[in-house]
Amino acid sequence: MRMVVAQLRFELGMLVRNYEQLLLVVAIPVGVLLFFGNVDVLPDSGGIDRVVAAVLALSVMSTAMVSTGIATGFERSYHVLKRLGATPLGRTRLVWAKAGAVAVVELVQAVLLLAIASTMGWSPTASSWWRVVAAMLLGTAAFAGIGLTLAGRLRAEVNLAAQNGLYLLLISVGGVIVPVDELPAAMQDVAGVLPSAALADVLHTSLGGVGDTTPGTWLVLVAWAIIAPLGAARLFRFDG
Amino acid sequence: MFVVEGAGIPVHAEGSGATALEVRDLVIRYGDVVAVDSVSFTARRGEVTVILGRNGAGKTSTIEACEGLRRVDGGSIRVLGVDVSKAEASLRARMGVMLQDGGIPPNARVDRLVAHYCLLHGRGTDADEIIRMVGLGSRSHSTWRRLSGGERQRFSLALALAARPDIAFLDEPTAGIDFDGRETIRSIIAGLVRTGCCVILATHDLDEAERVGHRAVVLHRGRVVLDDAIAAVCRNGRRLEDVVREVTG
Repeated sequence: MRMVVAQLRFELGMLVRNYEQLLLVVAIPVGVLLFFGNVDVLPDSGGIDRVVAAVLALSVMSTAMVSTGIATGFERSYHVLKRLGATPLGRTRLVWAKAGAVAVVELVQAVLLLAIASTMGWSPTASSWWRVVAAMLLGTAAFAGIGLTLAGRLRAEVNLAAQNGLYLLLISVGGVIVPVDELPAAMQDVAGVLPSAALADVLHTSLGGVGDTTPGTWLVLVAWAIIAPLGAARLFRFDG
Repeated sequence: MFVVEGAGIPVHAEGSGATALEVRDLVIRYGDVVAVDSVSFTARRGEVTVILGRNGAGKTSTIEACEGLRRVDGGSIRVLGVDVSKAEASLRARMGVMLQDGGIPPNARVDRLVAHYCLLHGRGTDADEIIRMVGLGSRSHSTWRRLSGGERQRFSLALALAARPDIAFLDEPTAGIDFDGRETIRSIIAGLVRTGCCVILATHDLDEAERVGHRAVVLHRGRVVLDDAIAAVCRNGRRLEDVVREVTG
């Protein structure tokens, strides 16, 4: 436990000193919240509830997938993971430390974003917090799995491009900012089975938004939360 | 307990001369290529065993297998009496490792990463002492990306020393290092040896090998072509370089 905590603190320290990662995990989610919370440009957006849910989903994607994926890809390329493998930390504790760092960052993100949202007229009174936490945990597992699968197979530079490309794709047409049923018809079937859309939808209803989440949406999220980490565990290579 | 000269790092000196590394019939393949072919040798505590050979001879593959970082296709490796394939944290805590290509995040600061490795190894080493010992005292607040090639090598060596190692695997520690830096590293290795550490040193620098080494294991095309005491092979004024050239054809 001592080593996991030490590594977790080290990971967080490295993140705080890495401006690109801070941009991803803080500046972009806060910027998106402020922009879409104040400028009414989304089609039938459902108001601030929908924006808050979208930004929380986006923050999970930023941290669990893109930030973790890019950092891990470069660590792999620089043989940092291999070097840590020769310390008493070992692989299992390293994975726990990284998971803990993601959880801490997401908690800080959620508190910050919800605090800002509350100044913009969003109220937490109708929220089902256990469903919010469950959705974020499932989303984190799903997106960390996707991010680490890419990071564990691709060259660092290709991984960087792939993570950013996927992030932009999921934000724009993955049912995060624009709900699935407001996307062009041809995209709805694909977007409906993406973890991004499922996470945004579950968060929307859990945070007090109108409507209810269908079991199918939860099923999509649970399936990604199982399949993506399994894929990462199978495909990840510690040394690049 | 001994103290490494000028370092303030206590190292257990007991067991000098005992076998610390035992490699038996090691085989490593990359696809159809056999990189390491039935390699066997032993290394003792209180000695420097140099692993020599041309590029692609299998030196790094062998060392990384001994560090438990590479999957092997055959044979066995025992480090400090423990099967390295079943190495627990307690064994890795006693192993100092310096990879050929660092393994350091570019934005990691010298003082912070060395302190972190001291914490991970949990062997009571003092990060500031280690940083001073490798000659990075004035650069301790620098990140890896701001260091010169030689300073990066010393940074990597400092991480190996954080283990207060009973066995140290140093893969080309003097590559890219100037004369003063080599002298520092030579002195650190000598200090480790005096305190009973087994040093496994892979290098292309045969003069360096002759200066600091006790035993030479020469690999050629994945096989051991020489395994002997350096004093024995360098009798009658023969230089190690000539011997290695001879056995590697």
